Amino acid sequence: MFDPKIITFACNWCSYAGADLAGTSRLKYPDNVRIIRVMCSGMVNPGWVLRAFRQGADGVVIAGCHPGDCHYTVGNYYAKKRYILLKELMKFVGFDDERFKLLWASASEGKLFAEEMTAFTEKIREMGPQEKLRRKIE
Amino acid sequence: MNSEILEKIKEECRKLPDDVSYIVGFVRKQGEPREILRVLRPGEIDRLSYSPLSSSNPSRIVMDLAKSGKVAVIAKGCDVRTLKQLEKEEKIKRERVYIIGVSCPGVIDYRKFRNAVKFRLSEIESVELVGDDVIVKANGNEQRIPFNELIFENCLYCEQPTPKDCDVLIGEPREGRTDFSDIEEFEKLDREERWKYWMDVFSKCIRCHACREVCPICYCEECLVDPSNLAVSPMTPAEEKAAYPRVLGKTVSASDNMVYHLMRVLHHAGRCAGCGECERACPMELPLLKLERKLKKVVYEVFNYSPDEEIPFLSKLDILPEV
Repeated sequence: MFDPKIITFACNWCSYAGADLAGTSRLKYPDNVRIIRVMCSGMVNPGWVLRAFRQGADGVVIAGCHPGDCHYTVGNYYAKKRYILLKELMKFVGFDDERFKLLWASASEGKLFAEEMTAFTEKIREMGPQEKLRRKIE
Repeated sequence: MNSEILEKIKEECRKLPDDVSYIVGFVRKQGEPREILRVLRPGEIDRLSYSPLSSSNPSRIVMDLAKSGKVAVIAKGCDVRTLKQLEKEEKIKRERVYIIGVSCPGVIDYRKFRNAVKFRLSEIESVELVGDDVIVKANGNEQRIPFNELIFENCLYCEQPTPKDCDVLIGEPREGRTDFSDIEEFEKLDREERWKYWMDVFSKCIRCHACREVCPICYCEECLVDPSNLAVSPMTPAEEKAAYPRVLGKTVSASDNMVYHLMRVLHHAGRCAGCGECERACPMELPLLKLERKLKKVVYEVFNYSPDEEIPFLSKLDILPEV
């Protein structure tokens, strides 16, 4: 069975704590999800997302606080703006934009985090490996 | 027609306020029929020239010059739009710039022009736009070419042919339009076709970064796409250099080039004025404006934002659509 690699940029204050809660409350979510902790979802450069795809990720998730809950007041609004722009561009150039996802998960939503991650992993598993941007050895 | 415009430009230049120390305008290139940008002193007004081939955007030069004195600039609709954008980003002070606006019917694509014209380029004396025809004169002969065969493609979708904010306006005001029919047409293709199209395009890219260098709003001193911005000394070992954080790979494979171009246009969201310098500068003749126009469409339709607003797009947060 195909084992996807999913990179998650999780914000330090909400989503990372949410993922932590999922762990401490022994909720299962696939180990395909690899979490990178960032201070805020607003600091995720679209370049990192593209670089993750270049380095062989099959899916990328940006996880942040719910709108209005950001530790830095508006960081997640910036994240959302960049997300929309990048997603539209990906669609335009013909990349599978379903592989890129934005998720709002607060520190208390361990269950939601686990469920969303399971669903996303299953979706990527169905889609198969990401070959379009993956770096090929030439 | 454009000789009239040129006369008016010269006339306005003679009437400039006393504190203007530079004029940024078009000067005929030697041996070629097109105009290039030059920085002139107020005493050199006679060197000025203007034709539909004066396509360059002077904003970048103005941005650098306005730090040291007042600058007068001859600007078309898109140039003024860029200047306004730079002003919004506090790169230019409006009172340091004297704008002589020219109402622009569109510029000629020099590549199309070169193929259509039957004279040797060095012999061409004048290129004039009369009505809907371009009249090229050389050695007493004359060639008429319809203007819409030569027009730069992006000018067909020009939103602001007439400068909005200028000190003097030359020529009749023209109506712009917001039209994304070419982008909509492209979006109808299915995903694999689009991917194939862009892979073909980006496999040609040689990553010379000319599109970045020439772009008036790409003014960052340190660019994200440069291989590394960290200090390297002769003593830095290769392993350390290889481990430096980079957003972008150094290869010129098509997908790396795609990442470069996506990153580049993402920085232009809500800022690009559509002057087309990137496409003109591209040695591989890639359709780079298509990406810019797609982003412009998203900014218009999803965020309902117009680049003419006073607040920059990036700092405006109340325009986000619902989740």
